Amino acid sequence: MAKVVVDAMAMQRALTRITYEIIERNKGVDDLVILGIKTRGVYLARRIASRLQQLENVTVPVGDLDVTPYRDDIDHDAQGDPQVSGENIDFSVAGKKVILVDDVLYTGRTIRAAMSAVMALGRPQSINLAVLVDRGHRELPIRADFVGKNIPSSQRERIKVSVSEIDDRDAVEIQQA
Amino acid sequence: MAKRYLILEDGSAYAGEGFGAGATTSGEVISNLNLLGYQETITDQIYHNQIIIFSQPAIGNVGINHDSYESILPTAKGMVVRDVTNISTNRLSRLSLDEFLQQHNIPGISGIDTRHLIRKLRKMAGPVKGSIVDVADAHAFDQLNATVLTNRQVDQVATPKPYPNPDTGKNVVVIDFGLKHGILRQLSERRCNVTVLPWTASAQDVLNLDPDGVLLSTGPGSPLDLGEGVLEMIRAVQAEIPLFAIGLGHELFALANGAKLEALPVEYHGSSHPIRRIITNDIIYATQGQGYAVVAKSIDRNRLITTYVDLINGTVQGLRHRDFPAFSVQFFADGAPGPHESRDLFDEFMEAMTAREG
Repeated sequence: MAKVVVDAMAMQRALTRITYEIIERNKGVDDLVILGIKTRGVYLARRIASRLQQLENVTVPVGDLDVTPYRDDIDHDAQGDPQVSGENIDFSVAGKKVILVDDVLYTGRTIRAAMSAVMALGRPQSINLAVLVDRGHRELPIRADFVGKNIPSSQRERIKVSVSEIDDRDAVEIQQA
Repeated sequence: MAKRYLILEDGSAYAGEGFGAGATTSGEVISNLNLLGYQETITDQIYHNQIIIFSQPAIGNVGINHDSYESILPTAKGMVVRDVTNISTNRLSRLSLDEFLQQHNIPGISGIDTRHLIRKLRKMAGPVKGSIVDVADAHAFDQLNATVLTNRQVDQVATPKPYPNPDTGKNVVVIDFGLKHGILRQLSERRCNVTVLPWTASAQDVLNLDPDGVLLSTGPGSPLDLGEGVLEMIRAVQAEIPLFAIGLGHELFALANGAKLEALPVEYHGSSHPIRRIITNDIIYATQGQGYAVVAKSIDRNRLITTYVDLINGTVQGLRHRDFPAFSVQFFADGAPGPHESRDLFDEFMEAMTAREG
């Protein structure tokens, strides 16, 4: 049984609020770059960038971070930590304020790998993390700066994020395993 | 029904038939272009001391119901309509419009070519005074010309004392400038535990209640008449607590953050203007009622972001503070009456409160 916990309207609203919070926290959009973590983080990153463009009339660079297949139904220990690479990024992150965007924040291992990938590209001024859903169960000391919705979940549950760009709709669903 | 007259300060007189109360009243004459929602309109305190001309030709169709009051004691001075109709078979109808106006001693006049009148008013500069009278003689015009329009509307209609509207959710302080019930209704639907404070409340009065959020309400009259105290309160509160402001509250929020206001040549009351939500570049409609607008050029871009704009007259319809979760809209986001698509802003307000808790 899947239950929709964030509908399309709520997802739009969360991204809108995160956009405003990014402006509040960074005192504007100077030196900002946005990196979306594949797959769905990329689309969320683009939506945030398009909102910033609408509001501030400034094009904020957006890039993709590739993360190796990392499914929570596969044995983590056997698979090792996720690997992230930033080979599709055609701008420098050195001295920039990087906003990492992902759909779900869970163990924190993807984010750690993403941070390493960003660091390998250059030395950013800062890295912030924006996520649509924070579901808890961190295994690393990582927290998000911008959270769409906190969904305290059991580890047996699955959180499924759909985005209209590649899925049939915008929604966050929770499924009992 | 008795023959009565609407007279204007330019010396013109319009014959019609009286309905509602038989009182003789004077006030500023304004036009309302909404197709729906005469009950919400006549009970909204932004129309305090005003005579409302309705462009919609048939008014009264669905009577008066329990769910559409925007105040307990309406203080509009009159209704001017083309046809007053009493054809309601609506199951929610409790009273006819005529009976309702009699109860509240508000006169109405029907049989007026309101669309012609509204076009004429558009060409007249500034506030226009008018009266609904039995006899349109020299005495009536003398009385009308001697009428002085008050600028103390907020004092007249806003609560002088705090009161609660308890529930179990977020603690919200509503600053009352003459609020419409739609605001309280939207907060109730979201289970907010509301305390309504008089508009003279200080920042400390607000902070003492330890609110999760603060809402500045709609209200009548000019924001420029309310003084510096309320602006200081807004500046102090917005830095501490998520803030949402509507209508008059939006105008005050703009003033408090350094923007300037201008009086519109003609007040706009309607819901037919497309409004652009800038962040997502989509269009919404909402009920609007404004005599003032924020001067776009006066907005300090280092303090405020423009978030909504009216695509017909270009007026600023929404603002947001750059440094704090504080935002405002000129239009009536409670959707009473009419288009409901901006009620989402109350959800945004809820989210701003939740996000602050972390």
